[in-house]
Amino acid sequence: MAKKLWKGNEAVAEAAIRGGCNFFAGYPITPSTEVLEYLSWRMPQVDRVFIQAENEIASINMVSGASACGARALTATSGPGGSLKVEGMSYAARNSIPYVLLNVQRWGTGLGALESGQTDYFKEVKGGGHGDFKNIVYTPASVQELADVAYEAWDVAEKYRVGVTILTEAYLGQMMEEVEMPPFKDPVPRDWGIDGTGRFGLGKHSVMMRGPGGMALQGKVYAQIRAEMQRWEEYGLEDAEYVLVAFGLPGRVCMDAVKRMRSAGVKAGMIRPKLVWPFPEDAFKRVNPQVKGFASIESTDFGMLVEDVALCAKKYGFHVPVYCYAHGKGVPGVSKVTDFYHSMENGDVKEAF
Amino acid sequence: MKEIIFAGFGGQGVLTGGLIIAYMAANKDLNAVWMPAYGPTMRGGKANCVVKFAETSDERVGSPVMEQADILIAMNEPALDYLSFCKPGATVIANSSSVRSDYPFPEGTQVVFADCLGLARQVGNDKGQNLVAAAAAIKTCGLFDPDYAVATMCQFFEEKGKGKFNDLNVKAMQAGFDAV
Amino acid sequence: MPVKKLPEKLKANAFCPGCGHGTILRLIAEAVEELELNDNKCLVLGVGCSCNGNGMLGGDDFQCAHGRAAAVAVGMKRFRPGMCVFTYQGDGDAGVIGLAETLNAAYRNEKITVFVVNNTNFGMTGGQMSWTTLPGQKTTTSVRGRDCSVTGAPIHLPELIATQFDVAYAARASVHDVKHITQAKKMVLNALQAQMNEEGYSIVEFLSSCPTNWHLSPIDSNKFIAEQVLAAYPVGEFKSRKGKEGQA
Repeated sequence: MAKKLWKGNEAVAEAAIRGGCNFFAGYPITPSTEVLEYLSWRMPQVDRVFIQAENEIASINMVSGASACGARALTATSGPGGSLKVEGMSYAARNSIPYVLLNVQRWGTGLGALESGQTDYFKEVKGGGHGDFKNIVYTPASVQELADVAYEAWDVAEKYRVGVTILTEAYLGQMMEEVEMPPFKDPVPRDWGIDGTGRFGLGKHSVMMRGPGGMALQGKVYAQIRAEMQRWEEYGLEDAEYVLVAFGLPGRVCMDAVKRMRSAGVKAGMIRPKLVWPFPEDAFKRVNPQVKGFASIESTDFGMLVEDVALCAKKYGFHVPVYCYAHGKGVPGVSKVTDFYHSMENGDVKEAF
Repeated sequence: MKEIIFAGFGGQGVLTGGLIIAYMAANKDLNAVWMPAYGPTMRGGKANCVVKFAETSDERVGSPVMEQADILIAMNEPALDYLSFCKPGATVIANSSSVRSDYPFPEGTQVVFADCLGLARQVGNDKGQNLVAAAAAIKTCGLFDPDYAVATMCQFFEEKGKGKFNDLNVKAMQAGFDAV
Repeated sequence: MPVKKLPEKLKANAFCPGCGHGTILRLIAEAVEELELNDNKCLVLGVGCSCNGNGMLGGDDFQCAHGRAAAVAVGMKRFRPGMCVFTYQGDGDAGVIGLAETLNAAYRNEKITVFVVNNTNFGMTGGQMSWTTLPGQKTTTSVRGRDCSVTGAPIHLPELIATQFDVAYAARASVHDVKHITQAKKMVLNALQAQMNEEGYSIVEFLSSCPTNWHLSPIDSNKFIAEQVLAAYPVGEFKSRKGKEGQA
């Protein structure tokens, strides 16, 4: 199929449909609203369910109900709306409900701003609700990658029976880039689900059906995901002096910056996590043992990703400084990244860990 | 890699103008990214977009954000604030109906004035000032062959179901080519 | 004297002695059986004493977060429109924390059924004031009696929905005596039929005793309903099914 220019928010919606998404419930919020708008006409066109719900709490609960009945259900939101979803995410985890949450991040705390940002990292990666649960969290860096992960998301969610979060950014949702849209997929029918007969219900593999210790057993599932879903893009790790770690659009910018620095003889290295849960720990095994330091480059205010970078550095025995460039709102440009790299080299910045 | 900033007021068609240039690149199988100004600006007032595209089929656009533009298409004077995101020696297409002729451009800037609004009106396409400006940039910087540009622009609008305005749009682009 | 047969799928209940929940769930189980919905229904449970209804009807059920049952039910019903989906919630669940979900589902006239058990307090957490608590009624958070000038006045969910939204059926029942239980059963049947005939949204609120938190015997609790609760919460249909007015 020929490539076509797609806006991020529309590409993810169309790819979701082609990946089998047959239920959507959501509420308008900038900068994710185009997803809702696109699906409002596209879902009925392909005979699938679309609901403009009263709020994000209702949306995630509608998604839970539909998914419990076998739907490939999606909800989409940004910033404040994401905060309202977390109750439902915890309940979905308890019921082993697979679903996909798209968070087109806007920057900031409270109302925040309509600008791009990555300030929902802790919320999406560290749980973001009561209890001890994990969602698989994709962090695409191009519109094509965004479409590809949406196409795959339910296969993964259903395989492990967990929630999947696609964590994007305002700019990625708004920008246009050419995409090769995948063909319509026929999902493998589930062997569980509420159909009114009571024969299958949530199935024997659900946390609820495992009895009182069910959630504890979920640790095995999480360990399996950690092992099976290590995904990242890397550059120059084997002889890097400093390794930059960044995801999403800052990750894409950093990759550009690292390649340019390399062509100027600077031994920069790069890890771009394609998922941030599970975190691509295995990438750290491939880093030059003589590396002088790591740095997270992120669109947060005080540094979030940096904590996972520091933990991995420690786990794999690197006793070197871990720096953080917290850009705040927007996406740092190549020159900002390059400047930060050189200030690490020159000892002009203080390490975070 | 080419980086173009297309900036002006809301209503001057800068987002569409940039998108058409991105479309011309993508249609040649060149990696292209179009990034609209986002945030409160999209609700009116200032508007801009950045277009980046590869010049060979192997090249990929890395950073998608405004970095160091080769070309600034300035539909009004506030748009010239983006000169700080331009390379030294960048080309500026300045809309002379909204930018004064003695504007203090940085030394080395290649400035081409075109009366985008006036020319669009002359051909009876008041909304076509973005196409006049895009055509001026395409010809000045040799981005695409003019015939290809016109045909691809028509295809762009046809896909959007707006092909019925193509006669007027072709005239607007032609006016832009002729102006520079 | 004819003895009503126990519904085949109904399980024993775990409610306090004298609580109305057991009666209400039995009525629902009977109605489900009579309408031949045992293999085509999902019970959607709220949080509170209603949680104890988990598993009681047999077959499919789903435990929701507090207050969100209507939203979950909407998701199920829209995806499986042929399946009978009904919530089972307390007054705190449906009418306080879940008021938004309850009203918005009614507003859109979603084809679900909402069963609300009104025992004038938050039973599961030990008897706190609810929006349904009677004026002057003592609870653990209104120890001198409910002062409506501060807390607001009792909420009337079926009336609110019947008068504001275009729904199929809205009624209030009581289960404190045989006459009312018989009437309640008809209301349950009407509500489920309204859903399965695709007439739209249906809601039935049940006045139910709470001997434990009212600190009354089961018999005195039923008297309390007859003498005081009924005066504040009239029983009847506030929105009848078209062409079937006054059936219950």
